[in-house]
Amino acid sequence: MLNLWMRASAWICLAVVILLLGFLVQQSWPYWQQYGFSTLFSGDWYPYEKLFGLTAAIIGSFWAALIALSIAIPTGLAAAVMSTEILSGSWRSLSRTGMELLAGIPSVVYGLLGLWVLLPLLQSSLGLLTGHNLLAAGLLLSVMVLPTIMVMAQDALSEISSEQRDAAASLGMGWSERLWRVLLPQAWPGIRSGILLALGRALGETMAVMLVVGSMDRIPEPFYNLLAPAQTLTSRIGREIGESAFGSMHFAALMACGLLLATVTITISLLAHLRADNTSVART
Amino acid sequence: MRHILYPILAAALFAVQIPGASAITLHAAGSTTVLPVVSTAATVYHQQHPDVTITVSGGGSGVGIASMIQHTADIGMASRDVDEDEIAKLNGKIDVLTIAKDAVAVVVSKAVYIGGVHQLSLKQIAAIYRGKIKNWKALGGPDAQIFVIDKEASRGTRHVFAEAVLGNAHARAAGASVISGSNNEEQALVAHSNQAIGMLSNAWLNDAVRGIAVGEGDHAVLPDIRHVRDGSYPISRSLHVLLPKNASPEARNFTDFLLSKQGQVIVKKSGYLRVR
Repeated sequence: MLNLWMRASAWICLAVVILLLGFLVQQSWPYWQQYGFSTLFSGDWYPYEKLFGLTAAIIGSFWAALIALSIAIPTGLAAAVMSTEILSGSWRSLSRTGMELLAGIPSVVYGLLGLWVLLPLLQSSLGLLTGHNLLAAGLLLSVMVLPTIMVMAQDALSEISSEQRDAAASLGMGWSERLWRVLLPQAWPGIRSGILLALGRALGETMAVMLVVGSMDRIPEPFYNLLAPAQTLTSRIGREIGESAFGSMHFAALMACGLLLATVTITISLLAHLRADNTSVART
Repeated sequence: MRHILYPILAAALFAVQIPGASAITLHAAGSTTVLPVVSTAATVYHQQHPDVTITVSGGGSGVGIASMIQHTADIGMASRDVDEDEIAKLNGKIDVLTIAKDAVAVVVSKAVYIGGVHQLSLKQIAAIYRGKIKNWKALGGPDAQIFVIDKEASRGTRHVFAEAVLGNAHARAAGASVISGSNNEEQALVAHSNQAIGMLSNAWLNDAVRGIAVGEGDHAVLPDIRHVRDGSYPISRSLHVLLPKNASPEARNFTDFLLSKQGQVIVKKSGYLRVR
């Protein structure tokens, strides 16, 4: 009975994913048919003029996720190493609980914090017209994905057997050598899964990003200008889905944004799992 | 034991069921300009009709009208007229009731106002939104870059403003620095800046968010109720609620309430011009 139930659940999960992708493909089909993949490389998004270029939002999503990861990876890894290797038991569990709490905060709360604290700070310290920009979105996202990276890295580090540690110590390895030669390489599969999951979350996050990114459908000029208001795929969907009539081309174009995001994040998650599985098989 | 428990359980079931059977919940969605009137009216109405609860959410006029097309709300709110495309989609199944009028004020940050910008012509405002004028100095204000706040295309305020200023409700605004959504968001953006220009219903003005007069020279007109009434303010509009023709009696009763004397007092208290 239990077996049957578990099988059924697994199949239902799979069916949901396939149904979801199927729905997105079906709803965005008119868009792909009429505009084709060339719109991936067009920057103009003016729904009322029937222009649906995706480049601006794709670049925005890319930058926001990149900023988030480039801050969260080193910070999260350092925090994980600190808490597993250096802190004593009670401090370790305290830091872990803190991270888990961070992960549980609803994203709109992060968004409002960003609005009230981060944006005025960016505006005044950098002398900008407004703090709404990709940097703000990236900074906010980095805090949001930090727990994923840290908790996964912590688990991976604490799985390393004490024999490995003893061996490293008996070889007379120094602290930094032990870290770079033994601990991080051993824990790498778990760390990598954490990073990929965090990337998926950073790409998919909507509410917090929507509140701080500025929602300007414009390709950053120059393309590395992170201090101007911009748009991400998620913030565009969030801003416009309410007004677009079900079945219209505008709706199909927004569904195309959704399909793009879903494909990328599902691929990333699959990658995270496949890699983790392979390496664990290889290790045993 | 059992014979005591059953009546209690039965009573509990009744207690849950009776209000559940007769209570009616209506949902209103759309314009955040119309929202304060409808939400205050909903509170007053609920006190008078405890069995009817009305939930109110924003999203903008575009959302209000879309909710009528897609049957996702009982009452729609719109701060602009329904356009031809939408009329075609609605297929005559909706009543549009005008409950109030207001002015779309051109607002600037307090610092800009104090710096000397008290009025602008429609041409000057258009030049700002098209990106032709970029510094307040060119308009007699402080030497500061203009922070141009545009609104989401679905917003009624954007629609009315762009039509009056740029000549087309969906005109591009190449000079825009940022896109805002609800009136609250717009108000906060202007208040937090020292160099902003934006568009807001006259009811949302305050010390940090100043409405300026619109027009040429001596003919510039302030965005207040008096000038909406006499029709001299150039960017004024009607505020509507939308009701399906086959709406429930309760929903129709509520929209009648908005047009009643009591409802119109709420309109006036919210800062808009009453229509009755």
